[in-house]
Amino acid sequence: MKKFVLLGIVAALAAAAWAGGGAEQGAAQAPAQTVSVWGWRAQDADVWKAAEAALKAKGVNVAIKYEVFPPTEYDSKLLVSLQGGVGPDIMYTRRLPGARTQALLDNGYLVPLDGKVDLAAFTDVSLSFIRSGGKTWGVPFANQIVGIFYNTEIFAKYGLKEPATWAELVQNAETLQKNGVTPFFVTAKEAWTLAMQNAMVGVSYPGDAWIGKLAAGKAKFTDPEFVGMLKDLNALKKYYQKDFSANTSAEQDVTFGMGQAAMVFYGIWGTSNWLKTNPDLKFGYFPIPPKDASVPAKAYTYMDGAYAINAASKAQDAAAKVLGYAASKEYGAAFSKITGEMTAVKGVAMPADRPVLVECYELMNTIASANRYWVGSPFDAGTPSAYNILQENMQAMYLDAITPEDLAKKLQDGLSTWFPPFKK
Amino acid sequence: MQRRTLFLMLFPAVALYTLFVAYPFVSSLALSFYDWPGIGPKTWVGFQNYSNVLTGFMSAEFYRAFWHNVVFFVWSLILSVVPGLFFAFLLAAAMKGTGWLKVVFFFPNTLSIVVVGFLWSLLLNPQWGLVNQLFKAVGLGFLARPWLGDIKLALPTIIAVTAWRGLGFYVLVYLAAIIGVEREEAEAARIDGATEIQIALRIVLPHLLPIIATTSILKFIWTFNIFDIVYAMEGTQGGPAGSTDVLGTLFYRIAFGGLGSSQTGMGLGATVVTLIFLVVFPVSLLYVFVLERRVEEEA
Repeated sequence: MKKFVLLGIVAALAAAAWAGGGAEQGAAQAPAQTVSVWGWRAQDADVWKAAEAALKAKGVNVAIKYEVFPPTEYDSKLLVSLQGGVGPDIMYTRRLPGARTQALLDNGYLVPLDGKVDLAAFTDVSLSFIRSGGKTWGVPFANQIVGIFYNTEIFAKYGLKEPATWAELVQNAETLQKNGVTPFFVTAKEAWTLAMQNAMVGVSYPGDAWIGKLAAGKAKFTDPEFVGMLKDLNALKKYYQKDFSANTSAEQDVTFGMGQAAMVFYGIWGTSNWLKTNPDLKFGYFPIPPKDASVPAKAYTYMDGAYAINAASKAQDAAAKVLGYAASKEYGAAFSKITGEMTAVKGVAMPADRPVLVECYELMNTIASANRYWVGSPFDAGTPSAYNILQENMQAMYLDAITPEDLAKKLQDGLSTWFPPFKK
Repeated sequence: MQRRTLFLMLFPAVALYTLFVAYPFVSSLALSFYDWPGIGPKTWVGFQNYSNVLTGFMSAEFYRAFWHNVVFFVWSLILSVVPGLFFAFLLAAAMKGTGWLKVVFFFPNTLSIVVVGFLWSLLLNPQWGLVNQLFKAVGLGFLARPWLGDIKLALPTIIAVTAWRGLGFYVLVYLAAIIGVEREEAEAARIDGATEIQIALRIVLPHLLPIIATTSILKFIWTFNIFDIVYAMEGTQGGPAGSTDVLGTLFYRIAFGGLGSSQTGMGLGATVVTLIFLVVFPVSLLYVFVLERRVEEEA
């Protein structure tokens, strides 16, 4: 009898152990919930891999499936898919104000994140680019800064300093040219880089405050302040590389990366490519100097985009967990380390091996322009936008097909067709 | 029974045609009467899109792009037909051992247009591209230019690249036509003392006129639908300063947006497509007419 009792206990223990082990095994083998993410940034693929690993380590069993589309095709691909009911769980969205993201909001494709995701790690400025109707519709992923990046070794060789005024910038260029160095490498074949160049100059000269007046309808693009800036910018082209109208940013990556040009007008996202070309490249950043030293130099910064949840997603809870992590300092640090760009999460230590990134992150919080007329501005919310007009007409001005006055008039006339303060 | 069999045999073709040609066309035509950013409800606007494109805020861009298509057609026709005939006559005159030359001529045609655009963009790079380097190497450095960054040169450059890629097609088509010309006629003329140039111009060329007409019409249809080579070499903006913008790139920018486009306008884009169709359709009918006449003549 005792024997049977013992056997019974052993059998019961074995059954319990088997059942328990099986349950654990079952939990471990439960398939991870797939969360699909669509974006236009190829450089983020490794960021999402790292995020998936970090989430799994925290016990959130998700598989993040990131798909990248070319930036010029992303929006139409997304729109068509959302209407067909086959969109992603998480989508990259452009900043507001902007007709594309507004169209997503107006048609109920986005889920408000207030109460679902802790957004305390972002500044109000960052969140303002993705807020509408008192609600927050996305998690900002990056802030960008544009300005002049320069080769510090070339500057040191010719005893040059970061310029405090436009005149000093021209003087630097003159010194470099006299010494056989290409002062600026400009990528005018890509019209968008010229629109960006114009806008980054504008925040310092004629300046942030002037753009504020412009946005309020109290100044015009045809005012002497803006036309004067265009004239000076047009005059600067004698310091650009020969045949700059046929060059692209791919060629800039090689030329600036190899130290064959002293300065470029570009954005922080370019730094990774330059370092890939030449890991030993020594470079720095300065915002465009103002014409008048009494006007403060400003940096053009903007929130690059945000992650939003598809209202038709069947994995909204898992998507919210992923975005909860994307709104953390841990994610922000990984983002900056992997992409070499500035996370939109505040208070994150930038990678120490990227001194320019550290500097730009600091400048973003100290000298960012409050007003602007390129991306992330009210001038970009209708058609034709200032961005549309600047692209083609900056090329035309540089190629002497139109004058600076013509360009200013085209901006004023084009925007007057829809921009409310100009329509009055 | 026969009618039923006929219907059954035609059904797959008709179904495919309806699904992939007729339906998209009718749908696009209908869309041109709506304002639709690509998402959400469509708003009926009647002929407003046509008014915007033909006389309104889009008209300057539309007519500029249209003119570029016309220039593209005229020059690419000249650069295809004239050298095409020239090389076809040369090959016909020396038929033996010219097989490899046909391959050389036709080879660019086997390359994808995007590959051609990419390769030529590298070759035409102003600083290290082979074209400018060659000019400099042979003492013609003054001819080195920023080919794709010059308002006056960019469109002619793209036309030349397109003609280079398509030349083999024209050479082979004209060569086949030359070979098809009755030998007796040429022989009789030769016996009567006609020179080879006279035979070519007065006997062979008249026989080639129908095929030249056919290829010209085809060239027109292809040119007014052109997009890929401009996109590959200058992007959707058709730069510099819109100097290479054609109807295809204009449509793409309007319909699908892209960098710097604050919104997409599917209705407006559909209007541009409909207008392209209205230009191409009569020429397509002419093509069918010419083709049928040739078949009847040959019969």
